Amino acid sequence: MSTTTQTAPQSPFKRWLSGVTNASDLGMLPVIAALILIWIVFEVLNANFLTPRNLSNLAAQIVVTGTLALAEIYIILLGMIDLSIGWNSVLAASIFSLSTVFFHLPVVVGLVLGVACATGIGFLQGMLVSRVGVPSFVVTLGGAMVAEGITLGILTPHGGSVPLADDLTTAIGTLNLDPVWSWAASIVLFGTYAALTLNSIRKRAAGGSEGGYAAVMRLVGVGVMLFGAVFMLNAYRGVPFLLMIFLIALFASAFVTKSTQFGRHLYAVGGNAEAARRAGISVKGIQLAVFVIAGFLVGLAGYLDAARLGVASASVGNGDIMLNAVAAAVIGGTSLFGGRGSVYGALFGALVIESVSNGMNLLGAASSVRFIVEGGILLAAITIDTVLRLKRMRSGRA
Amino acid sequence: MSAVINPVATGMPLLTVRGLQKRYGAVVALRDVSFSVSRGEVTALLGDNGAGKSTTIKAIAGVAPIDEGEILLEGKPVSIRHPSEANALGIQTVYQDLALCDNLGICANLYLGRELVSKPTPFGPHVLRDVDMEAEARKVLKTLRINLPALDTPVASLSGGQRQAVAIARAVLWDSKLVIMDEPTAALGVAQTAEVLRLVRDLAGQGYGVILITHNMQNVFQVADNIAVLRLGATVMERRRADLTPEQVVGAITGTLAIPGTTAAGAVA
Repeated sequence: MSTTTQTAPQSPFKRWLSGVTNASDLGMLPVIAALILIWIVFEVLNANFLTPRNLSNLAAQIVVTGTLALAEIYIILLGMIDLSIGWNSVLAASIFSLSTVFFHLPVVVGLVLGVACATGIGFLQGMLVSRVGVPSFVVTLGGAMVAEGITLGILTPHGGSVPLADDLTTAIGTLNLDPVWSWAASIVLFGTYAALTLNSIRKRAAGGSEGGYAAVMRLVGVGVMLFGAVFMLNAYRGVPFLLMIFLIALFASAFVTKSTQFGRHLYAVGGNAEAARRAGISVKGIQLAVFVIAGFLVGLAGYLDAARLGVASASVGNGDIMLNAVAAAVIGGTSLFGGRGSVYGALFGALVIESVSNGMNLLGAASSVRFIVEGGILLAAITIDTVLRLKRMRSGRA
Repeated sequence: MSAVINPVATGMPLLTVRGLQKRYGAVVALRDVSFSVSRGEVTALLGDNGAGKSTTIKAIAGVAPIDEGEILLEGKPVSIRHPSEANALGIQTVYQDLALCDNLGICANLYLGRELVSKPTPFGPHVLRDVDMEAEARKVLKTLRINLPALDTPVASLSGGQRQAVAIARAVLWDSKLVIMDEPTAALGVAQTAEVLRLVRDLAGQGYGVILITHNMQNVFQVADNIAVLRLGATVMERRRADLTPEQVVGAITGTLAIPGTTAAGAVA
């Protein structure tokens, strides 16, 4: 123990470097680097890739994958998996569309019904996983099949898809926040974040803690990304409403997982369930709550998907939306063994997946090629992540 | 280091157990276990594999409640049927596997399950007070003379001795009176073992009662004030360490050496 008294690196740069690598925030940097590389490659291959118009499309395309990946990350942090998110989200969208289009219920009521259905499925799956102890893999596989069956059962009499036409859904699916408001919102958002960060750095410094450099660098990085994104999106039509809803869910999840007692317990259960149990944490309660939260997000994703496409369709579910979401979560640095990762992985993982998809479409590539490239990137991401983690562990900075 | 007579040791034992019995079906794990632990003292609980050491500490920690017998805490009989009851009485156990979350930082582990939180916000959830927790933790670590890296360092990257120190610090962070340690030096190197033993001695010096389970006779004679030996589920000897030699203790553990004044319980079987 005495050999590990805290060493103070000399230069500010070294201090920053050790702060960054120690704070396990390296998790997001490799994904961002990969994303930049992917963007450069596609821009070289097709000059239309990094245009405001295409990036605005991309911003809307990541929303469903990102929201589903966010739900999946909650589950994966527990060390579990949810295979039902795809069909569960389609079922939520179907219930929304049928209740508003055929039963003429108010839009908000239909939305509540759809999301409540997905949340309820999350609750039932969570009960089976936490109380009965059935492995999540099997529970959610069964859940996916049941959700698929119900979806097909209720949509087939209506031709398999239901077009949506209500004003709210159309607006959410197609409109953007005006450029002026986009700037205002992003400035308020960044100002709040900066104030919170600086306040926390000040309090930590007063308490004798370190790590201020990493926090400042993160603040700068977030500022560059946020204002850069707003600049590009404003050059077209502004920030899509879809993206804003996803970002609100993302930031709320970041708060819940990083700053609340519930979030701390979630990571504890994922890291060492037995230790968490002995520490008096209700492991079953955490597991159930996580499945409910994920169910809610899945319902939201279903609605956002229907809003974006303007239709609730059974053909959405049998595509690869579930696998894309799992891939995005893993590419975003979430460890499948549980307890390690960040909800921000949903944003960057979805950006990687959807950038490839978008770029390949621009190049006119067949979907067969797209699958191979996406699969290759997933394998590369998980290999690089594993190697980096091993390296950090060997140098004593797991 | 243990030659100093402890000033906080008082006449009334902190913990006394009498005639503990525990059965698992047809198997009698404990027949008659009795010993006591004083404030400011280290009591070594010794015995061969299967002698009942683990069952005894599980009984005191509330993990596996006893069938018969008496547990007195500060002279008053207590019933310990659940780990939370033991914790509420100020009894903390450091298990051999340490029960740490490797993915969480040092401070998060110290406060696991008992985080300091702000009053419920309008959002509902309890917001962690990380800065306050780190400041408090730093104080406790300082009084225990434990040196650790930055408190948000994941436990996965700590050495075995540091992990042990985190687990011990967590046990004393909570108004505890009695700390039970199961083989704390089993997996450690020489320097780390010395550091953990120093910590064990410091805990006693600060007035905690300590029950130490170990197989290492050298450790016992370095830190223990009191030695209780179990054999086949019963106490066969409880003496001051100063009155014993390692040979006598080994003899009591194996049942090969008759010591004047010990019960014959172990020899009957």
